Amino acid sequence: MKNEHIDELLMKAAGEGQDVDPGVLERIGDSIKPSLRPVRPLPPGWLMAAGVVVVCAAVSLAGAARAGFSGLAKMNVLERSLIFPALGLLACLVAVSFVRQMIPASRVRVSPGGVLGLTSIALFAVFALLFRDYRTSHFISAGIICLLTGLLHAVPAGLLSWLVLRRGFAVDPVSAGMVGGTLAGLAGVGLLELHCPNFQATHILVWHIAVVPVSAAIGASFGWIARYRASSRG
Amino acid sequence: MGEHPGERGPYLRKGVEVGKDSSETFQGMHSGENLERLMIRYQEGDFSAATVLIRSMSPRLHRFFLAKSMSRADASDLLQETWLRIHKVRHTYRPGEPALPWFYAIARHIRVDHYRKSIRAVAGEKVLEEISKSAPSTPHQTVELDALLEPLSESQREIIAMLKIEGMSLEEVARATSSSVGSVKQKVHRAYKKLRETIGIRDTKKWRSGELA
Repeated sequence: MKNEHIDELLMKAAGEGQDVDPGVLERIGDSIKPSLRPVRPLPPGWLMAAGVVVVCAAVSLAGAARAGFSGLAKMNVLERSLIFPALGLLACLVAVSFVRQMIPASRVRVSPGGVLGLTSIALFAVFALLFRDYRTSHFISAGIICLLTGLLHAVPAGLLSWLVLRRGFAVDPVSAGMVGGTLAGLAGVGLLELHCPNFQATHILVWHIAVVPVSAAIGASFGWIARYRASSRG
Repeated sequence: MGEHPGERGPYLRKGVEVGKDSSETFQGMHSGENLERLMIRYQEGDFSAATVLIRSMSPRLHRFFLAKSMSRADASDLLQETWLRIHKVRHTYRPGEPALPWFYAIARHIRVDHYRKSIRAVAGEKVLEEISKSAPSTPHQTVELDALLEPLSESQREIIAMLKIEGMSLEEVARATSSSVGSVKQKVHRAYKKLRETIGIRDTKKWRSGELA
Protein backbone atom coordinates (compact mmCIF):
# COMPACT_ATOMS: atom_id res chain seq x y z
CA MET A 1 0.00 0.00 0.00
CA LYS A 2 1.32 3.43 -0.96
CA ASN A 3 1.42 6.47 1.26
CA GLU A 4 -0.84 8.33 -1.18
CA HIS A 5 -3.51 5.71 -0.56
CA ILE A 6 -3.27 6.28 3.20
CA ASP A 7 -3.44 10.05 2.64
CA GLU A 8 -6.63 9.59 0.61
CA LEU A 9 -8.16 7.40 3.30
CA LEU A 10 -7.29 9.94 5.98
CA MET A 11 -8.79 12.79 3.98
CA LYS A 12 -11.93 10.81 3.27
CA ALA A 13 -12.27 9.76 6.89
CA ALA A 14 -11.71 13.29 8.18
CA GLY A 15 -14.76 14.15 6.10
CA GLU A 16 -16.81 17.28 5.95
CA GLY A 17 -19.55 18.66 8.13
CA GLN A 18 -17.45 19.56 11.14
CA ASP A 19 -18.37 23.19 11.19
CA VAL A 20 -18.21 24.92 14.51
CA ASP A 21 -21.49 26.15 15.93
CA PRO A 22 -21.72 29.85 14.96
CA GLY A 23 -23.02 30.58 18.46
CA VAL A 24 -19.74 29.33 19.90
CA LEU A 25 -17.75 31.63 17.62
CA GLU A 26 -19.94 34.54 18.63
CA ARG A 27 -19.42 33.77 22.31
CA ILE A 28 -15.66 33.64 21.80
CA GLY A 29 -15.71 37.02 20.05
CA ASP A 30 -17.89 38.52 22.79
CA SER A 31 -15.65 37.18 25.54
CA ILE A 32 -12.46 38.73 24.18
CA LYS A 33 -13.92 42.03 23.00
CA PRO A 34 -14.02 43.84 26.37
CA SER A 35 -10.34 43.18 27.05
CA LEU A 36 -9.04 43.75 23.53
CA ARG A 37 -6.30 46.32 23.99
CA PRO A 38 -3.03 46.76 22.09
CA VAL A 39 -0.26 44.60 23.49
CA ARG A 40 3.49 44.91 23.14
CA PRO A 41 5.03 41.79 21.54
CA LEU A 42 7.91 40.10 23.32
CA PRO A 43 11.36 41.56 22.66
CA PRO A 44 13.74 39.67 20.34
CA GLY A 45 14.90 36.28 21.63
CA TRP A 46 18.57 37.27 21.73
CA LEU A 47 17.76 40.21 24.01
CA MET A 48 15.88 38.02 26.46
CA ALA A 49 18.66 35.42 26.38
CA ALA A 50 21.24 38.15 27.02
CA GLY A 51 19.10 39.35 29.94
CA VAL A 52 19.07 35.98 31.67
CA VAL A 53 22.81 35.42 31.07
CA VAL A 54 23.55 38.81 32.67
CA VAL A 55 21.32 37.91 35.63
CA CYS A 56 23.11 34.58 36.15
CA ALA A 57 26.56 36.16 35.83
CA ALA A 58 25.55 38.89 38.29
CA VAL A 59 24.35 36.30 40.85
CA SER A 60 27.63 34.34 40.53
CA LEU A 61 29.77 37.45 40.86
CA ALA A 62 27.73 38.86 43.74
CA GLY A 63 27.98 35.53 45.59
CA ALA A 64 31.72 35.32 45.01
CA ALA A 65 32.19 38.95 46.05
CA ARG A 66 30.55 38.08 49.38
CA ALA A 67 32.24 34.70 49.87
CA GLY A 68 35.63 35.51 48.34
CA PHE A 69 37.41 34.79 45.06
CA SER A 70 39.69 32.09 46.53
CA GLY A 71 39.12 29.68 43.64
CA LEU A 72 39.89 32.25 40.98
CA ALA A 73 43.03 33.32 42.83
CA LYS A 74 44.31 29.73 42.98
CA MET A 75 43.69 29.00 39.27
CA ASN A 76 46.44 29.21 36.67
CA VAL A 77 46.01 31.01 33.36
CA LEU A 78 45.02 27.87 31.43
CA GLU A 79 42.34 26.97 33.97
CA ARG A 80 40.92 30.49 33.94
CA SER A 81 40.97 30.72 30.16
CA LEU A 82 39.15 27.41 29.73
CA ILE A 83 36.67 27.25 32.60
CA PHE A 84 35.06 30.68 32.43
CA PRO A 85 34.65 30.89 28.63
CA ALA A 86 33.20 27.36 28.69
CA LEU A 87 30.75 28.36 31.42
CA GLY A 88 29.86 31.52 29.51
CA LEU A 89 29.28 29.64 26.27
CA LEU A 90 27.16 26.99 27.97
CA ALA A 91 25.15 29.69 29.77
CA CYS A 92 24.44 31.40 26.42
CA LEU A 93 23.31 28.16 24.77
CA VAL A 94 21.12 27.14 27.69
CA ALA A 95 19.70 30.68 27.93
CA VAL A 96 18.63 30.51 24.25
CA SER A 97 16.99 27.17 24.94
CA PHE A 98 15.24 28.59 28.03
CA VAL A 99 13.92 31.56 26.05
CA ARG A 100 12.58 29.18 23.39
CA GLN A 101 10.78 27.21 26.07
CA MET A 102 9.03 30.40 27.14
CA ILE A 103 7.76 31.28 23.65
CA PRO A 104 5.10 29.02 22.12
CA ALA A 105 6.02 27.35 18.81
CA SER A 106 9.70 28.23 18.99
CA ARG A 107 12.09 26.05 17.07
CA VAL A 108 13.46 23.33 19.38
CA ARG A 109 16.74 21.73 18.36
CA VAL A 110 17.67 19.92 21.58
CA SER A 111 15.19 18.46 24.08
CA PRO A 112 15.30 19.72 27.70
CA GLY A 113 16.85 16.43 28.80
CA GLY A 114 19.42 16.80 26.04
CA VAL A 115 20.28 20.32 27.21
CA LEU A 116 20.87 19.04 30.74
CA GLY A 117 22.87 16.04 29.53
CA LEU A 118 25.06 18.01 27.14
CA THR A 119 25.72 20.71 29.74
CA SER A 120 26.77 18.15 32.35
CA ILE A 121 28.96 16.25 29.88
CA ALA A 122 30.64 19.44 28.64
CA LEU A 123 31.42 20.53 32.21
CA PHE A 124 32.71 17.06 33.03
CA ALA A 125 35.01 17.13 29.99
CA VAL A 126 36.47 20.55 30.84
CA PHE A 127 37.02 19.75 34.52
CA ALA A 128 38.41 16.26 33.82
CA LEU A 129 40.89 17.80 31.39
CA LEU A 130 42.14 20.42 33.84
CA PHE A 131 42.11 18.84 37.29
CA ARG A 132 44.33 15.83 37.99
CA ASP A 133 44.55 15.72 41.78
CA TYR A 134 42.68 12.52 42.61
CA ARG A 135 42.85 12.69 46.41
CA THR A 136 39.50 12.47 48.18
CA SER A 137 40.06 14.13 51.56
CA HIS A 138 36.84 15.43 53.19
CA PHE A 139 35.01 14.21 50.11
CA ILE A 140 31.51 14.12 51.62
CA SER A 141 31.67 16.98 54.11
CA ALA A 142 33.36 19.46 51.74
CA GLY A 143 31.23 18.24 48.85
CA ILE A 144 27.90 18.80 50.59
CA ILE A 145 28.93 22.33 51.54
CA CYS A 146 29.78 23.09 47.90
CA LEU A 147 26.57 21.51 46.61
CA LEU A 148 24.45 23.52 49.04
CA THR A 149 26.35 26.75 48.31
CA GLY A 150 25.89 26.22 44.58
CA LEU A 151 22.19 25.50 45.00
CA LEU A 152 21.69 28.49 47.31
CA HIS A 153 22.93 30.69 44.48
CA ALA A 154 21.13 28.75 41.75
CA VAL A 155 17.74 29.45 43.37
CA PRO A 156 17.94 33.27 43.15
CA ALA A 157 19.48 33.00 39.67
CA GLY A 158 16.54 30.86 38.56
CA LEU A 159 13.95 33.14 40.14
CA LEU A 160 15.50 36.28 38.65
CA SER A 161 15.75 34.61 35.22
CA TRP A 162 12.09 33.70 35.44
CA LEU A 163 11.36 37.33 36.33
CA VAL A 164 13.15 38.45 33.16
CA LEU A 165 11.06 36.01 31.08
CA ARG A 166 7.81 36.37 33.02
CA ARG A 167 5.93 37.77 30.00
CA GLY A 168 6.58 34.53 28.13
CA PHE A 169 4.28 31.53 28.19
CA ALA A 170 5.61 28.01 28.68
CA VAL A 171 3.40 25.48 26.91
CA ASP A 172 5.29 22.81 28.84
CA PRO A 173 6.15 24.21 32.29
CA VAL A 174 8.08 21.09 33.36
CA SER A 175 10.46 21.31 30.39
CA ALA A 176 10.81 25.06 30.83
CA GLY A 177 11.52 24.55 34.53
CA MET A 178 14.14 21.93 33.76
CA VAL A 179 15.98 24.15 31.28
CA GLY A 180 15.67 27.17 33.60
CA GLY A 181 17.03 25.04 36.43
CA THR A 182 19.96 23.96 34.26
CA LEU A 183 20.79 27.59 33.57
CA ALA A 184 20.47 28.49 37.24
CA GLY A 185 22.72 25.52 38.07
CA LEU A 186 25.36 26.98 35.77
CA ALA A 187 25.21 30.18 37.81
CA GLY A 188 25.83 28.04 40.91
CA VAL A 189 28.79 26.28 39.24
CA GLY A 190 30.15 29.69 38.21
CA LEU A 191 30.09 30.84 41.81
CA LEU A 192 31.82 27.64 42.98
CA GLU A 193 34.59 28.03 40.42
CA LEU A 194 35.18 31.59 41.56
CA HIS A 195 35.04 30.76 45.24
CA CYS A 196 36.01 27.12 45.97
CA PRO A 197 39.78 26.56 46.41
CA ASN A 198 39.39 22.76 46.59
CA PHE A 199 40.91 21.54 43.31
CA GLN A 200 40.58 17.79 43.93
CA ALA A 201 39.28 16.31 40.69
CA THR A 202 36.67 14.03 42.29
CA HIS A 203 35.33 16.92 44.41
CA ILE A 204 34.82 19.12 41.37
CA LEU A 205 33.61 16.35 39.05
CA VAL A 206 31.04 15.09 41.53
CA TRP A 207 29.92 17.94 43.75
CA HIS A 208 30.34 21.01 41.56
CA ILE A 209 28.75 19.39 38.52
CA ALA A 210 25.97 17.91 40.68
CA VAL A 211 24.63 21.44 41.18
CA VAL A 212 23.42 21.43 37.55
CA PRO A 213 21.21 18.28 37.57
CA VAL A 214 19.93 18.95 41.10
CA SER A 215 19.02 22.50 40.14
CA ALA A 216 17.37 21.22 36.93
CA ALA A 217 15.33 18.76 39.01
CA ILE A 218 14.25 21.58 41.34
CA GLY A 219 13.29 23.69 38.30
CA ALA A 220 11.29 20.81 36.80
CA SER A 221 9.53 20.34 40.15
CA PHE A 222 8.56 24.02 40.21
CA GLY A 223 7.25 23.60 36.66
CA TRP A 224 5.26 20.55 37.68
CA ILE A 225 3.74 22.42 40.65
CA ALA A 226 2.88 25.39 38.42
CA ARG A 227 1.20 23.08 35.91
CA TYR A 228 -0.70 21.23 38.63
CA ARG A 229 -1.94 24.46 40.18
CA ALA A 230 -2.94 25.90 36.83
CA SER A 231 -4.93 22.80 35.89
CA SER A 232 -6.52 22.60 39.34
CA ARG A 233 -7.76 26.16 39.00
CA GLY A 234 -9.46 25.41 35.70
CA MET B 1 6.81 3.91 -2.36
CA GLY B 2 5.39 7.34 -3.05
CA GLU B 3 6.35 10.62 -1.48
CA HIS B 4 7.78 10.67 2.03
CA PRO B 5 4.92 10.42 4.49
CA GLY B 6 6.17 13.56 6.16
CA GLU B 7 5.88 15.69 3.07
CA ARG B 8 2.83 17.86 2.88
CA GLY B 9 0.04 16.60 0.70
CA PRO B 10 -1.14 19.60 -1.29
CA TYR B 11 -4.51 18.03 -1.99
CA LEU B 12 -5.26 18.02 1.70
CA ARG B 13 -4.80 21.74 1.97
CA LYS B 14 -7.64 24.13 1.67
CA GLY B 15 -7.79 27.87 1.72
CA VAL B 16 -10.20 28.94 4.38
CA GLU B 17 -13.10 31.12 3.43
CA VAL B 18 -14.24 33.45 6.15
CA GLY B 19 -17.93 34.18 6.69
CA LYS B 20 -19.70 36.37 4.15
CA ASP B 21 -20.23 39.20 6.60
CA SER B 22 -16.53 39.58 7.10
CA SER B 23 -14.65 42.16 5.14
CA GLU B 24 -11.80 39.77 4.48
CA THR B 25 -11.40 36.40 2.96
CA PHE B 26 -8.73 34.12 4.16
CA GLN B 27 -7.44 32.36 1.12
CA GLY B 28 -4.00 30.80 1.05
CA MET B 29 -3.64 30.80 4.78
CA HIS B 30 -0.71 28.45 4.57
CA SER B 31 1.36 30.96 2.72
CA GLY B 32 1.23 32.34 6.23
CA GLU B 33 1.27 36.02 5.37
CA ASN B 34 -2.43 36.66 5.92
CA LEU B 35 -2.46 34.87 9.22
CA GLU B 36 0.63 36.69 10.41
CA ARG B 37 -0.66 40.08 9.33
CA LEU B 38 -3.92 39.40 11.14
CA MET B 39 -2.02 38.38 14.27
CA ILE B 40 -0.12 41.67 14.24
CA ARG B 41 -3.38 43.59 13.87
CA TYR B 42 -4.88 41.49 16.66
CA GLN B 43 -1.94 42.47 18.87
CA GLU B 44 -2.61 46.08 17.98
CA GLY B 45 -6.14 45.69 19.33
CA ASP B 46 -8.05 45.41 16.03
CA PHE B 47 -11.33 43.59 16.74
CA SER B 48 -12.11 42.90 13.07
CA ALA B 49 -8.77 41.08 12.73
CA ALA B 50 -9.60 39.10 15.87
CA THR B 51 -12.99 38.17 14.40
CA VAL B 52 -11.44 37.00 11.13
CA LEU B 53 -8.89 34.93 13.06
CA ILE B 54 -11.60 33.35 15.21
CA ARG B 55 -13.71 32.43 12.18
CA SER B 56 -10.83 31.09 10.16
CA MET B 57 -8.85 29.25 12.82
CA SER B 58 -11.69 27.83 14.91
CA PRO B 59 -12.82 25.11 12.45
CA ARG B 60 -9.23 23.88 12.21
CA LEU B 61 -8.68 23.88 15.97
CA HIS B 62 -12.07 22.24 16.47
CA ARG B 63 -11.10 19.50 14.02
CA PHE B 64 -7.78 19.12 15.84
CA PHE B 65 -9.64 18.45 19.10
CA LEU B 66 -12.08 16.09 17.40
CA ALA B 67 -9.23 14.07 15.92
CA LYS B 68 -8.29 13.14 19.48
CA SER B 69 -11.44 11.08 20.10
CA MET B 70 -13.29 13.88 21.76
CA SER B 71 -17.01 14.64 21.75
CA ARG B 72 -18.22 17.73 19.87
CA ALA B 73 -19.29 19.34 23.15
CA ASP B 74 -15.85 18.79 24.68
CA ALA B 75 -14.18 20.06 21.52
CA SER B 76 -16.30 23.24 21.63
CA ASP B 77 -15.44 23.79 25.29
CA LEU B 78 -11.75 23.35 24.58
CA LEU B 79 -12.02 25.66 21.60
CA GLN B 80 -13.40 28.42 23.82
CA GLU B 81 -10.75 27.76 26.43
CA THR B 82 -8.07 27.87 23.74
CA TRP B 83 -9.24 31.24 22.48
CA LEU B 84 -9.27 32.67 25.99
CA ARG B 85 -5.68 31.49 26.42
CA ILE B 86 -4.68 32.77 22.98
CA HIS B 87 -6.13 36.13 23.93
CA LYS B 88 -4.26 36.17 27.21
CA VAL B 89 -0.88 35.32 25.69
CA ARG B 90 -1.27 37.01 22.29
CA HIS B 91 1.79 39.15 23.04
CA THR B 92 3.97 36.00 22.87
CA TYR B 93 3.44 35.77 19.13
CA ARG B 94 6.46 37.41 17.52
CA PRO B 95 5.93 39.16 14.19
CA GLY B 96 7.87 37.42 11.45
CA GLU B 97 7.48 33.99 12.99
CA PRO B 98 4.95 31.48 11.55
CA ALA B 99 1.60 31.96 13.29
CA LEU B 100 -0.05 28.62 12.53
CA PRO B 101 2.23 26.51 14.79
CA TRP B 102 1.79 29.15 17.49
CA PHE B 103 -1.99 28.56 17.48
CA TYR B 104 -1.56 24.81 17.51
CA ALA B 105 1.06 24.91 20.29
CA ILE B 106 -1.47 26.67 22.53
CA ALA B 107 -4.32 24.37 21.46
CA ARG B 108 -2.12 21.39 22.22
CA HIS B 109 -1.31 22.80 25.66
CA ILE B 110 -5.03 23.18 26.40
CA ARG B 111 -5.76 19.66 25.17
CA VAL B 112 -3.00 18.10 27.27
CA ASP B 113 -4.21 20.07 30.27
CA HIS B 114 -7.76 18.83 29.70
CA TYR B 115 -6.48 15.27 29.39
CA ARG B 116 -4.63 15.54 32.71
CA LYS B 117 -7.68 17.01 34.42
CA SER B 118 -9.91 14.23 33.16
CA ILE B 119 -7.42 11.57 34.24
CA ARG B 120 -7.27 13.14 37.71
CA ALA B 121 -11.02 13.41 37.94
CA VAL B 122 -11.48 9.78 36.97
CA ALA B 123 -8.74 8.63 39.33
CA GLY B 124 -10.26 10.67 42.14
CA GLU B 125 -13.73 9.36 41.73
CA LYS B 126 -12.63 5.82 40.94
CA VAL B 127 -15.61 5.33 38.67
CA LEU B 128 -13.81 4.64 35.46
CA GLU B 129 -15.83 1.53 34.73
CA GLU B 130 -19.15 3.13 35.50
CA ILE B 131 -18.37 6.08 33.30
CA SER B 132 -17.45 3.91 30.39
CA LYS B 133 -20.65 1.89 30.84
CA SER B 134 -23.14 4.64 31.58
CA ALA B 135 -21.83 7.50 29.48
CA PRO B 136 -20.83 6.39 26.04
CA SER B 137 -18.99 9.11 24.20
CA THR B 138 -21.18 11.36 22.09
CA PRO B 139 -20.84 10.46 18.46
CA HIS B 140 -18.61 12.90 16.72
CA GLN B 141 -17.21 13.45 13.29
CA THR B 142 -16.69 10.32 11.27
CA VAL B 143 -16.28 7.11 13.16
CA GLU B 144 -14.07 6.02 10.31
CA LEU B 145 -11.30 8.46 11.22
CA ASP B 146 -11.31 7.14 14.76
CA ALA B 147 -11.10 3.58 13.51
CA LEU B 148 -8.34 4.49 11.11
CA LEU B 149 -6.22 6.25 13.74
CA GLU B 150 -7.00 3.76 16.51
CA PRO B 151 -3.77 1.73 16.26
CA LEU B 152 -1.65 4.87 16.63
CA SER B 153 -0.27 6.24 19.87
CA GLU B 154 -1.47 9.63 21.16
CA SER B 155 1.56 11.48 19.85
CA GLN B 156 1.34 9.76 16.46
CA ARG B 157 -2.35 10.62 16.13
CA GLU B 158 -1.61 14.21 16.98
CA ILE B 159 1.15 14.47 14.40
CA ILE B 160 -0.85 12.73 11.68
CA ALA B 161 -3.80 15.02 12.40
CA MET B 162 -1.64 18.12 12.06
CA LEU B 163 0.34 16.93 9.08
CA LYS B 164 -2.22 15.15 6.96
CA ILE B 165 -5.61 16.40 8.05
CA GLU B 166 -4.62 20.00 8.74
CA GLY B 167 -1.98 20.05 6.01
CA MET B 168 0.80 21.58 8.10
CA SER B 169 4.44 21.22 7.09
CA LEU B 170 7.01 19.20 9.03
CA GLU B 171 8.59 22.38 10.32
CA GLU B 172 5.22 23.72 11.49
CA VAL B 173 4.36 20.46 13.24
CA ALA B 174 7.79 20.39 14.89
CA ARG B 175 7.29 23.91 16.21
CA ALA B 176 3.73 23.20 17.39
CA THR B 177 4.81 20.09 19.27
CA SER B 178 8.08 21.54 20.63
CA SER B 179 10.13 18.84 18.99
CA SER B 180 12.67 18.57 16.22
CA VAL B 181 11.85 17.96 12.56
CA GLY B 182 13.78 14.67 12.76
CA SER B 183 11.64 13.44 15.62
CA VAL B 184 8.44 14.36 13.74
CA LYS B 185 9.67 12.52 10.63
CA GLN B 186 10.41 9.45 12.72
CA LYS B 187 6.94 9.47 14.31
CA VAL B 188 5.26 9.90 10.92
CA HIS B 189 7.29 7.07 9.47
CA ARG B 190 6.29 4.76 12.34
CA ALA B 191 2.66 5.85 12.14
CA TYR B 192 2.52 5.12 8.42
CA LYS B 193 4.10 1.75 8.96
CA LYS B 194 1.41 0.94 11.53
CA LEU B 195 -1.35 2.31 9.30
CA ARG B 196 -0.11 0.27 6.33
CA GLU B 197 -0.19 -2.89 8.43
CA THR B 198 -3.64 -2.17 9.86
CA ILE B 199 -5.21 -1.16 6.57
CA GLY B 200 -3.57 -4.12 4.88
CA ILE B 201 -5.07 -6.53 7.42
CA ARG B 202 -8.46 -4.82 7.15
CA ASP B 203 -8.44 -4.98 3.36
CA THR B 204 -7.44 -8.65 3.42
CA LYS B 205 -10.31 -9.42 5.82
CA LYS B 206 -12.76 -7.54 3.59
CA TRP B 207 -11.50 -9.32 0.52
CA ARG B 208 -11.78 -12.73 2.19
CA SER B 209 -15.29 -12.10 3.49
CA GLY B 210 -16.28 -10.87 0.02
CA GLU B 211 -14.78 -13.95 -1.52
CA LEU B 212 -16.58 -16.26 0.87
CA ALA B 213 -19.87 -14.49 0.30
